[in-house]
Amino acid sequence: MDLPDINRCVRCGTCRSVCPVLQEVGWESAGARGRILTAKGVLEGKTVDSSALQSLSTCTTCGVCTEICPAGIDPVEAVEKARGLMSNQGFFLPDHSILKEKVRTTGNTFGDIGSRHGWLQDSLSQSRQGHPARRKAEYVYFVGCLESYRYPKTAAKTFNILSRFGVGLLEDERCCGSPLIRTGFDATDLIDHNLKQIKASGAHSVIASCAGCYATLKNYYPADFETLSVSEFLARKIPDLGLKPLDDVTVTYHDPCHLGRCNGVYDPPREVIKAICDLEEMNASRERSRCCGGGGGVRAGHKDLSINLARRRLVDVPEGVDYIVTSCPLCVRNLRDAGGKTVDLVDLVDDALKPTLDIRPPDHQLQAVTPSNHKR
Amino acid sequence: MPGKTSLQAETVSLMSLLEDLQKIVGDGRRVSASPSELYCYTFDASQIEGRPDVVVRPLRTEEVSKILKLAYHQEVPVTTRGAGTGLAGGAVPLKGGIVLDMSTMNRVIDVDVANIQAEVEPGLIRDDFNQAIKPYGFFFPPDPGSSAMCTIGGMIANNASGMRCIKYGTTKAYVLGLEVVLADGTVINTGSRVLKSSAGYDLTRLMTGSEGTLGVITRARIKIAPLPKARWLILTAFSSAEEAGRAVVKVLSSGIIPSACEILDKTTISVLKQCDKKLILPDGDVILFEVDGTVASTEEDAKSIAEVCAPTATSIRRISSQMEMEEIWAARKLIGASISRLQPEKSRVYVGEDVGVPIKSVPEIIKKVQEISDDIGLPAMKFGHVGDGNLHVALFIDVTKKDHWNKLMEAADRIHLAALDLGGTVASEHGIGKARAQYMRRQHGPALDVMRVIKRALDPVGILNPGKLDL
Repeated sequence: MDLPDINRCVRCGTCRSVCPVLQEVGWESAGARGRILTAKGVLEGKTVDSSALQSLSTCTTCGVCTEICPAGIDPVEAVEKARGLMSNQGFFLPDHSILKEKVRTTGNTFGDIGSRHGWLQDSLSQSRQGHPARRKAEYVYFVGCLESYRYPKTAAKTFNILSRFGVGLLEDERCCGSPLIRTGFDATDLIDHNLKQIKASGAHSVIASCAGCYATLKNYYPADFETLSVSEFLARKIPDLGLKPLDDVTVTYHDPCHLGRCNGVYDPPREVIKAICDLEEMNASRERSRCCGGGGGVRAGHKDLSINLARRRLVDVPEGVDYIVTSCPLCVRNLRDAGGKTVDLVDLVDDALKPTLDIRPPDHQLQAVTPSNHKR
Repeated sequence: MPGKTSLQAETVSLMSLLEDLQKIVGDGRRVSASPSELYCYTFDASQIEGRPDVVVRPLRTEEVSKILKLAYHQEVPVTTRGAGTGLAGGAVPLKGGIVLDMSTMNRVIDVDVANIQAEVEPGLIRDDFNQAIKPYGFFFPPDPGSSAMCTIGGMIANNASGMRCIKYGTTKAYVLGLEVVLADGTVINTGSRVLKSSAGYDLTRLMTGSEGTLGVITRARIKIAPLPKARWLILTAFSSAEEAGRAVVKVLSSGIIPSACEILDKTTISVLKQCDKKLILPDGDVILFEVDGTVASTEEDAKSIAEVCAPTATSIRRISSQMEMEEIWAARKLIGASISRLQPEKSRVYVGEDVGVPIKSVPEIIKKVQEISDDIGLPAMKFGHVGDGNLHVALFIDVTKKDHWNKLMEAADRIHLAALDLGGTVASEHGIGKARAQYMRRQHGPALDVMRVIKRALDPVGILNPGKLDL
């Protein structure tokens, strides 16, 4: 995105009607139109300071502004470009710099030096066929940092299902690079590394749990492979999964921004859900789904704002549903931290595969993550 | 009489002003002088620019009163802003000073259905207001294209209208009373809760459309209208925009008042089709007639309009599907900003975009606009609320080319003068602001001097939105 693209913004303010951060914060600089103006200032070299950083860093990159913009411009692209220019000039949030260093030194967003395959201990498939990362496969599962290090049971459940269809793993998966790209840093090394891993696996398709990983693999990696979300893969396999309907369960579905609005994946997760139980839509769904507040580096850089956005999203949950189901671990995390009973789509599928009708996921998976119980 | 300049505001110490404002609102988070924030408030949706010295987001009338008292004594300019979606620069601080961002004062205070009114704060978004009163079976009809973003306060200050005003009237028809803070901080209440009153000067009407130059609106009592039971849309196409304009005159003369009457010329139609390929629209110059009322009356009116248009229309289609109507109107609302989809290297610039003429002169102004466009060599999209004589003209240029800007300003000037020559107005609904201030004398003659007397009486120091309306 260059200045001529930004100049196509006529400042009509249509984005004001949908920007979740503007609705929470109120200042013009906290909305998409304000960020376009800030980005313009940065691209012109006029306003490169902490106030510009404040404006740009509160964008979750949810893309609802891009969806609705009548002039057809992409404010998210402008924000990411401006963030890149600012970080090159030494302007970035300390928390984003820490995040970047964690990723670069340990290959994951938590700075965790433990094995990225630690969750495999929970997986049923490891002992039967040898280490799944050491065999060639046409499809590989890209686990992602959050599933690997924070939701290992969901990673294990996912792989237990996928491996039934011959899906493999990368031998040495590292962070997809999304947190760096969103916050204005370079992720070339990570992309190169993961690409080599994908090639070595022989896979023509990569399946991602996280919407951020999905969007990055699909749009920022070379198009040498197909990228699928777990929901898309599962939807293709519904007849073969052996799902048992959960008759007295009603759920709602939260569309992750980077899976739904940004990449058009709306129907597959819904098909999977409807094969299991009743679905009631959120008050704002699909193209108009409201952001959980987790993306774009906002959770790392502005935690309070991030959780407040999640609280606003919870207002859209219809009455009487048992759970919010979503297909992104960052959405799961943020919505749970705001108090929402949220499960991953795979948790629901796993319940529908159980021999007995144990419809509740284990209690500890539904607890809000607090500083006292948060694993670091 | 201008207020102090930005430089003089600095002279009275910006730091001290900031501290005073923070003390008034009691919350440092509602006052900002950060460079990026000030840059964002330098603009609205027009071409006008002006950088404030500080932005404040008040929550209560009391805060607004204290801010104005302070500004009055220190002679610091104050510009009031709603959502900043105005098209004439009304919310842009030409002389720096304080911008009052009213968008946080956005509550519905009371919905009084028995008295057919509601009391609201000025920062309430128009569509949010309508969502709040819809469950009662009522709506607030004025519907500018920015209704999802614009605020009630901004609509009152601008006497905003929109598509449905041909039948329902503009904002001024709905304002029963206001709470206004005057330039010196005095709080007054105008009007009352009654639906009509003849008791002295109509200060409510004076404030409505005054564009923030006479006071700051902090509360409004708004009349609401019952929601119609049914609507029909009649899509008619004609061989030329002039022919379409003549059909409008015939329909209105036949005694049917549609609830909306919009023109979309050929260029506009092609942009709409590019923006939403699912829309089924005819080719040609199109008039959208909408009728509302009961099921029986709307069906009858739709039939009558079709009969009136039949002799000259190239196509006629009647639509009663709610969903299809909503899709067409939603696309229509965003047409103004969508022009760059047609020619990506060009942007729409909002000048000469809001003329109004007597209904009988609608075909003439359409013809004149086309002649100006052909003569100067700038393409012009024509659309708008032609049923009440309001034509929107979209001019688009490559904004990086200086000669394009020169042509643009010449075209806009000629369009404004053409409307005035036909006994019309340079601003049907977007207001004067700064963008059209140079036409005030030509349009009003000696009446402009009366406006100036009123301005001096209510704002002797000239702090309220200085530099606007040629006051």
